[in-house]
Amino acid sequence: MSLRQSMAGLHTWGGLLPSWLLYVIILAGTIACFDKELERWMRPALHQGAASQMTADDVRDWLQRNVKDELHAFWMHPPTEREPYWRLGWEVHDSGEQRNIAFDPVGAEPMPETLGGDFFFRLHYTLHAGMPGVYIVGLAGMFMLVALVSGVIIHRRIFKDFFTLRPGANGQRAWLDAHNLFGVLGLPFHLVLAYTGVVIFMSNYMPAGLQLAYKGDVEHFFSEVMGAYHREEVGQPAPPAMSLNELVAESRRQWGGGEPGWVVVHHPADVAAVVDIRRFSTSRVGAPQETLTYDAASGELLHRQQPPAGYSTYNWLAGLHMAQFGGSLVRLLYLMLGLAGCALMVAGVKVWVAKREARGGAGIGLVRALNGALFVGLPLASLALLWGNRLIPLGMAERASAEAWLFVGAWSLLALWAVLGRRQPRRLLSQQLALGALLALGLPLLNGLTTAHGHLLASLARGDWALAGIDLFLLLAGLCAALAAWRLARPAPLAAPRGRRILVEETA
Amino acid sequence: MSKQSTLSSWSIASRVLAALFGGYALAYAFAAFFSVYLPLPRPDRVAFAGMLSFAVWTAAAIYVFAARSALRAWSGVAGLSVVLCLAAFLPSELGVRP
Repeated sequence: MSLRQSMAGLHTWGGLLPSWLLYVIILAGTIACFDKELERWMRPALHQGAASQMTADDVRDWLQRNVKDELHAFWMHPPTEREPYWRLGWEVHDSGEQRNIAFDPVGAEPMPETLGGDFFFRLHYTLHAGMPGVYIVGLAGMFMLVALVSGVIIHRRIFKDFFTLRPGANGQRAWLDAHNLFGVLGLPFHLVLAYTGVVIFMSNYMPAGLQLAYKGDVEHFFSEVMGAYHREEVGQPAPPAMSLNELVAESRRQWGGGEPGWVVVHHPADVAAVVDIRRFSTSRVGAPQETLTYDAASGELLHRQQPPAGYSTYNWLAGLHMAQFGGSLVRLLYLMLGLAGCALMVAGVKVWVAKREARGGAGIGLVRALNGALFVGLPLASLALLWGNRLIPLGMAERASAEAWLFVGAWSLLALWAVLGRRQPRRLLSQQLALGALLALGLPLLNGLTTAHGHLLASLARGDWALAGIDLFLLLAGLCAALAAWRLARPAPLAAPRGRRILVEETA
Repeated sequence: MSKQSTLSSWSIASRVLAALFGGYALAYAFAAFFSVYLPLPRPDRVAFAGMLSFAVWTAAAIYVFAARSALRAWSGVAGLSVVLCLAAFLPSELGVRP
């Protein structure tokens, strides 16, 4: 058995089985390129872009007034260009329960709950399944790496096929061309993103160094590898804490004008409480690792982070994955290449289906149902979530949970529809796309009816492209879906069979 | 073209297991070995060994399916893992040097 044949088998099955999971991960990650813009879209209080008048001390005062539990830590993020509002989070000491809130820039009170763009970010790397989800995503990433490498090995004419697209050819060949096109076009991006994605959770996935060189001492491992500072609790009550505003100002001086991006207070009720202030910058690929650590009571500078070379490398790789550098153009590029990754998955599965439709084979019904439920179901459920965000009343208790249930409910119904309609895939897809067009084109309209400052006329008049971009993207996606639905609703053209040479890629 | 056109289902199942578990074991052994022997300070040894280990896992998965027989695949991956692990875990004072 030749290398290319064995790799073809590996690519076919090692690629097919995780492709629906990978599609969910890649699409969620692609949407998360613009998670902060989406977050703003989903929070009408932020539409006008009013600057927040709060300070770090105001945020801490709010926490002390409203949360009486003993805290393990609390953290806050000052306003930035993409997130022009204060965010606060805390972890309760005993239960380990974590909460996160965002403050209305006007009025300095928490905004109504929403899942926000963060929902897609977490879906991307946890599948909303906690640590087990993180491990499942990591394994899917390894499958993706193996599929990419085996795909390159079986792809004999990698350069020539890049310029080959035969949409008029029979189904299998046309889908194979598309699969090759998106695969080759995005290959460097997909390789780098799959690899860096797995590396981000390295200490979970590959704890060999931690277990061997640090004897499993997690605190020691993290503080030494990151060059960070850690001070244990001693169990005595803390003296009155120092003003956080002053520590923030001191950090700006220390960095020569650099901006703080993250303020963390560890065990605030303990005499050993420390304040970490992490620097924020979008001008470097990896987020800056120059965290300053202060004594929470005296304000004495205890430590200045100096990451070792290995951690700086890790941080650069993680930054390459997270795309928080360089601005909208970089994120737009990641978005396009991420969509190419989704298209790669869809076209790859279509090759599998087209081949078996022609020659017969088991499992076609299952694969078609999965295609309908995942490939189309996830984008449609995401659109339903945005509808829910606008339609669920702002004052409702547990509003974010209501949004989540709406997303889950919509996706379940769409999956059921896909299972029932699997015998007529063309008709199913046409109807699904028509619904998608309706949902996507309706959202900018709904946005105009339910928000005063968030609709296209207002955002374009302000020159607010971050907000307008989401409506414009929805309009474009809706129009594409409508066009595709209309074309699919016409009867399928009959392709004339022709004799041709079979490539080894197609025998898989 | 080829001596045989398809693999038996036992051979495939065995290789799938070798790629998943054997591949991970080899990557773990690689990370452990270089966490001890790289001529770098400890945090850098651990970080670089860990970051590179996923490439080893990928390569192992490819090798397992390219190997002439499932037995060969298993013996290659398992043998190398055992050697690397023994070398990494025996000299314990070398691994924890700063």
